[in-house]
This record gives sequence, C-alpha cells and structure tokens, in this order.
Amino acid sequence: MNEIKQIEDHLFNQADPQDTVLFEAKLILDSGLQENVTWQQKTYTLVKQYGRKKLKAELEAVHQQLFALKEHRSFAQKIRALFSR
Amino acid sequence: MELYKTSFPVIAKYISRRGGSFDEAKDIFQDAVVLYYEKLVENKLNLQVNEQAYLLGIARHLWIRKYNLNSRNIDIDEAGQLTEQEEPLPLTHKLLDFLENAGQKCMDLLKAFYYDKLNMGEVAQQFGYSGERSATVQKYKCLEKVRDTVKQKALTYEDFLE
Repeated sequence: MNEIKQIEDHLFNQADPQDTVLFEAKLILDSGLQENVTWQQKTYTLVKQYGRKKLKAELEAVHQQLFALKEHRSFAQKIRALFSR
Repeated sequence: MELYKTSFPVIAKYISRRGGSFDEAKDIFQDAVVLYYEKLVENKLNLQVNEQAYLLGIARHLWIRKYNLNSRNIDIDEAGQLTEQEEPLPLTHKLLDFLENAGQKCMDLLKAFYYDKLNMGEVAQQFGYSGERSATVQKYKCLEKVRDTVKQKALTYEDFLE
C-alpha cells in the first residue's frame, strides 16, 4: 500500500523533492517498481475511460428519453426538423 | 436533462447548418458535454464563460477536427485536450468490460475520486465508510486490486501493450 501511494505521488507530482530523488533512485535499481509504475499509469487511464463510459451512458439515457417519450415530442420534432432539409 | 434541453438545440443547429447529420450532432454534443464536465470538476473553467457558449465552442472544435478543415487554427492546448478524447482501443474495451463485471464497486470508488474529483469526505459518505481515513485506505486497496488485474489481463491480451 505504501508503494501504491508513493507511485501515485510520483505520477501526480505530489511528492516532496527529497522523496522524489529517493524514488527516482529506486526506480533505476528496481525493475519491478518500474513495471508497477507502468501498470498504475494504465490503471488511471482505465479509470478515466470508465468514468467517460458511465457519463456517456447517462447522457444516452437522457437522449433516449427526450427523443422517445411523448411529453418531449415538440422538443424532438423541433430538433429533427433541423435535419430534414 | 436541463442541460440537454437548453444546449442540444444550439449545437444541433450549428451542426445542421454545416451539413452534419442528427447522429453526428448527437455524438459531438455528448463528447462536448464530457469535456465540459471534466473541466468543470477540475475547476479549470473561467466562471464568466456561459455554459452554452462554452459547449458550442468545444462542439465547433470537434466538428472542425472531424473534418480536418482549418486544423491549423486549433491551438495546441485545445488540440491536446481533444486527442485524449480518442476512443479506447478494442482491448481496452475488453478490459473495461471485465473490470465492470468483476470489480464494479472498486471501479465506482476510483471513478468518484479520480474522475468525478470528489474529496475523500464525500467519497466516504457516498460509499458508506466511517471516515476519510478508511475511505483512503480502501481507495489504495482498490487501486492495487485493479492494477493487479490490469497486469494479469494485459499479459493474456498481448496487444494491450501499445
């Protein structure tokens, strides 16, 4: 857990300068640590993609409601009319 | 819903005037909202900017980029922003699907902190932890768990290593 936090501080530039030097030295010596940094970086990217996926699913649900439910019919017609030319 | 009702018409009008389709307007609008949301939670927005104008600005960039018109006029910062919008690779999709099924609770917790930028107190409350400290511990545990899964899965899907 300590390592996870150290890697996070390193990747997000949150470590203080002393720790940074120490961490960089460790990185050179420890190829396992290097690998974990790479995997952790991938993990943050995946979390971001997961967040985007969820947000888009929410937007899609709103879209479906607006363009399928009767109560929004006039809104939907107005938009569709823009593309009917 | 409100945002959709007030802002989608503005973007749909813009895209339709430039010959785009309904589906293109929808995709561009949704991508623009995603980028807007990300800026918003990072507190990087100038408060004087009006929501609709901002969304229209992003939508315009996305449209221009899509058709590669005039691409020299996109400033580097904005262009950098937009490259991140690139669709995940197919193998990343596979991994995301896997994580969604196998570790949804962890993914939701990590999303709340790293994507929605909630602070630890809010995360603790939302996920029912007794306090910031235990939520923080859980966050690192989840991070480790997902990292190990990524590592393990990546070795089976070779192409994942770009």
